[in-house]
Amino acid sequence: MKFIHSFRTRLFTGFLVASLVPVLVCSSMLLQIFRLRLDSQVDEESQEYLSQVTESLDGLYTGFRQTMLALRASPYVAPALAREQTKSSRVYSELYSATEGSRSGAQFDLYDSQGTWLYSTRSVPPGTRLPTQWGVLYAARQTDDLVFSQVDGGEGNTAVLLRGAAQIPLTSGQEAGYLVITMTRADFHQLLDGKYGSRNDLLLLNRYWRPVYSSKTSLAASVAPQLRQQLLDGEPLRLEGEEYAYRAAVQEEMGLYAVLQHPQAMNQSTRGLLTTVTASSVLVCVVMSVLMCLRLSRQMFLPIQRLHSAISEVVQNNLDVYIPPYQDDELGQLAQRFNGMVAALKHNQEQLVENQRELNEAQIRMLQAQLNPHFLCNTLDTMKWISKINQVPQVAVMSTDLADILRFCISPDEFVPLRREVEILQRYMEIQSIRLSGRCRFEVALPPDLEACMVPKMILQPIVENAVLHGLEDTENGVVRVDVRSDETAGTLKISVTDNGRGLPPEMVGPYVRRETDGRGHLGLYNVDTILKKYYGDTCGLSLGCRPDGPGTVVTAILPLQKEESHAESTDCGR
Amino acid sequence: MKGHKAVKILCLLLAVIIAATSCGTGTSDTSVLQYAPKEEDRLVVYTSHKEEVYWPIIKEFEERTGIWVEVVSGGTNELLTRLVEEKDVPQADVMFGGGVDSLAAYGDCFAPYFCRDWVLLDYTMRSIDGLWTPFSALPVVLIYNTKLVSPGQLTCWEDLFSPAWQGRIAFCDPSVSGSSFTGLVTLLQAVGGAPDEVLQAFAVSLDGRQLETSGEVLDSVAEGTDLVGITLEETALKRAAAGAEIALVYPSDGTSCVPDGGALVKGAPHEKNAQRFLDFIASTDVQQRMESEFSRRPIRQTQTQTADLLPLTDIPSVNYDISWASENHNKVLMSWAFYFGGGEEA
Repeated sequence: MKFIHSFRTRLFTGFLVASLVPVLVCSSMLLQIFRLRLDSQVDEESQEYLSQVTESLDGLYTGFRQTMLALRASPYVAPALAREQTKSSRVYSELYSATEGSRSGAQFDLYDSQGTWLYSTRSVPPGTRLPTQWGVLYAARQTDDLVFSQVDGGEGNTAVLLRGAAQIPLTSGQEAGYLVITMTRADFHQLLDGKYGSRNDLLLLNRYWRPVYSSKTSLAASVAPQLRQQLLDGEPLRLEGEEYAYRAAVQEEMGLYAVLQHPQAMNQSTRGLLTTVTASSVLVCVVMSVLMCLRLSRQMFLPIQRLHSAISEVVQNNLDVYIPPYQDDELGQLAQRFNGMVAALKHNQEQLVENQRELNEAQIRMLQAQLNPHFLCNTLDTMKWISKINQVPQVAVMSTDLADILRFCISPDEFVPLRREVEILQRYMEIQSIRLSGRCRFEVALPPDLEACMVPKMILQPIVENAVLHGLEDTENGVVRVDVRSDETAGTLKISVTDNGRGLPPEMVGPYVRRETDGRGHLGLYNVDTILKKYYGDTCGLSLGCRPDGPGTVVTAILPLQKEESHAESTDCGR
Repeated sequence: MKGHKAVKILCLLLAVIIAATSCGTGTSDTSVLQYAPKEEDRLVVYTSHKEEVYWPIIKEFEERTGIWVEVVSGGTNELLTRLVEEKDVPQADVMFGGGVDSLAAYGDCFAPYFCRDWVLLDYTMRSIDGLWTPFSALPVVLIYNTKLVSPGQLTCWEDLFSPAWQGRIAFCDPSVSGSSFTGLVTLLQAVGGAPDEVLQAFAVSLDGRQLETSGEVLDSVAEGTDLVGITLEETALKRAAAGAEIALVYPSDGTSCVPDGGALVKGAPHEKNAQRFLDFIASTDVQQRMESEFSRRPIRQTQTQTADLLPLTDIPSVNYDISWASENHNKVLMSWAFYFGGGEEA
C-alpha cells in the first residue's frame, strides 16, 4: 500500500508541477506585460494631459507678461498710479487694451505704491488694500519681473487662490504702483477644466509644493501635504492605501507645479480579477492533476495489483491462475507473458510428476523381475534333486549350473570379482559341453593376482557364448580359451576369448563396430561393448582379431585394472 | 524523500512567481524627485504655534528665501521632549513657539544665536545669552465670563483664592502647557510668600480640576463651565474679538510679560537657514504683521503700538524672573503635581 501512496504522490507532484509551472509562469508574465503596457499607456496619457496643462499655464503667463509690459509702456498708467493725473477713463482704456485676451481668465488690478487699490477689470470694494511689506507686493518690489504668490482664499468659486504682482515704475525709475493679477478658483477651473482627463485630478502647487489649486477641494487639504513630505523625504509619490499614481510637471515662470493624480493602471479590481483568474486556473490545474493522477494510477495500479495477487497465488503453489487480457499496452503484455510463464511452469511440473511416476513403475517392475528368477532357481534346485533321485546326472548338473548362473544374474551386485565371473563361465561351459556332447573344451588362464579384479557382471558370458555359437559351429574339438592379462603401466586389464573356429571375415578385424547387418547374432557382443563403454568411456570396449597361430577368432575386452578394495573410486576414475 | 523534495521545489517556485507578480505592481514614477529641493535649501521647524500663526510666517519665509520649510507642529512640552530625545541626532533646526522660560529650561538642546536685530529688541524681552529669540510678548491675564461674573469681582491674583471660585477656575495642566506654567509662576510671584503654601492654596481653589489643553481654558470660561480662567492676553483678546462672553483682567497685583520665542537647535542640520528664520521672526515685517493681524505684542523697541492693545507700560507687572522659572521648572511642576494630587492629606 505504501507503494501506491508514494507512487500516487509522485505522480500527483509530477502532474502538478507540469501543469502549475506553465500556468503560473504564463500568468505572471501576462500580468507583467499587461501591467507594463497599461503603465506605459497611462504614462503617455498623463504626460499628454500634463503638457496640456503646462501649455495653458504658459499661455496664461505669456498673456500676463504682455499685459505687464503693455501697462509699463503706457504713458498714462504710471502717472495715474502716482496720482499725478486722475483721468480714470484713460487709465481704464489702457488697462482694458492691455488685458485684451487674458481679461476673462483673471482679474487685473492696479494699486498705488502704498498698496491701495485704484483700478480693476472686475468689481472690487473700494478701500481694498494690500500690505506692501508682506506678501506679493513685497516680493514684487524685490524684482523687476512678475511674481506670484499663493493665497489662502478659502472655499468657494470666488476664492482668490493666486496673486501675481509686478511693479509699475515711473519713467524716472521711481515706483508708481503695482499691477496685481488675481486668479480665483473659478478662473483656474475655466482655464484647466477638461485638460487633465475626466478620470484624473489635478493639483497645482506653488514653488514650495504648497497647494494652490486642486480640481477636487479635498486633494489640497489631504493629499498635497503628503506629497510634499514624500518629495522632501525623497520617496516616490504615492498615497498609502490609494490606487493612484502621480506625475508632475513645472511651469517655471509662475513657479507652479502641476501634479496629475491618475488612477493606477493596475488598480485593485483589475488585480483582483487577474488574481482570481490565476487562482481559478491554478485550482483547475490542481483538480485536473488529482483526477489524472487518480485515473492513471488506477490504470497503472489495477493491472499491477492483479499481477501481484496472481504472483501470490503462484507463491501459494496454485498454478491455475490466469490473468484475463483487458488492455493492449505494456502492462497487458506483461500479464500475457506472466500467463505464458505460469503455463510453462505448470507443464514442467506435470512432466516432472510424470517422470517420477515412470521411474517408480520401473523400480516396481525391477522388483517384480527379481521375484520370478528366485522361483526359477528354486524350481531348478527341485529339478536337481528329482534328477538325482531318478539317476539322471546330466540333468542334475545342468540344473545346478543353471541355478548358479541364474542366481549370479539376479544378484543385485553390478561388479563382481573376476574369479566369480570365471566360475560362472565354467558353469556355463559345463552346460554347453553337455549340450554339445563334449565336442568343446574350455580353458582359462587367470593369473592368481588378477582373480580379485573387479569387472562388470556377466561381461564374459556373452563373448564366450558368441565364440561357442559362431566360432565353433561345425568344428570338432573346439577349444575356447580365456586369457587374462594385465598391463600395469597402462593400468588396463585385457581379457581375451580365443576360439579355434572358422575365423572372422577380414572387415570385422579391429575395434568392435556395430553393424546394421549384425542382426540377432551379435547382440551379445554389442551389449558387452556398450556396457564397457558406458562404464569406462570410449577407450574401453571390445576389440576383434584373428588367432595368430591358426584359424579362429580372438575377442578382447579392454577395461581398467581394478582391484576389489578400490573398486568404488576406480570406477569413477575410469569413466 | 523524493516527493518531499519535489514539493519543496514546487513551493519555492510558487513563492518566487507570486513574489515576482506582486512586487512588480507597486512601482511609481520617480522622475518627480528632480523637483525635490537640495539639502541646503531646507529647514525643519518644530512649532507649537497654531497653524493660523505659523503658516503666514512660514509661507512668507519660503517665498522670500527660497528655503523649503518642513513644519512639525505639536505641544510645546511634547516638542521639547522630542528635542531631548533627538539630542544626539537632531532632526529639527528651529524650535518655534513656547514661552522662553520653557525654552530656557531645555537650554541644553539649543545653541546660542543673537539674531540680526538683537540690539533693536526690547531689552526686557531679549535673551542675554542669546539662547532664544523672542517672538511675541504675551502678558498673562485673568478672564471671566461676563454673564456669570460682574465686573470688579475679579481684579487680582489674590482674588483667585476666594471660595466663590473654588472648583470653577479654568486652568490648564502646567506640565502640558507652557503658558499655564508661566501663569503659575506669575501667580507665585504676584502673591508672594512661600511658594509651597501658595501652590497648596491654589490647588484647593482648583478643587482637583485641570484642563488638558490651553485652548480649553477659553472654551470653558466662554461656555460658563468655569467662571474665571488664567490664560494669555493674545488668545483672550482674539477670543473676545470673536464675540465670546469673556472679559480680560490685567491683575492689579501685577502680571508677567514673558515672550514666546524661537531657538536654534544645537547641532541643527541646516543651521544657516535656521538662523535666517530666527532673524525673520524678529524682523520688522513679521512683528508688524503679527501685531496688525493677530494682536500679538511685538518685541521690538521701535515698534509702534496699535490702538487695540493696552500699552505695556500701563499694565502692572511683577518682576518675572525667567531664569528662576526655567531653573525651577521641574521643581515647581513636581510640587504642583504633589499639591494638586491632594498631597497635603498624604
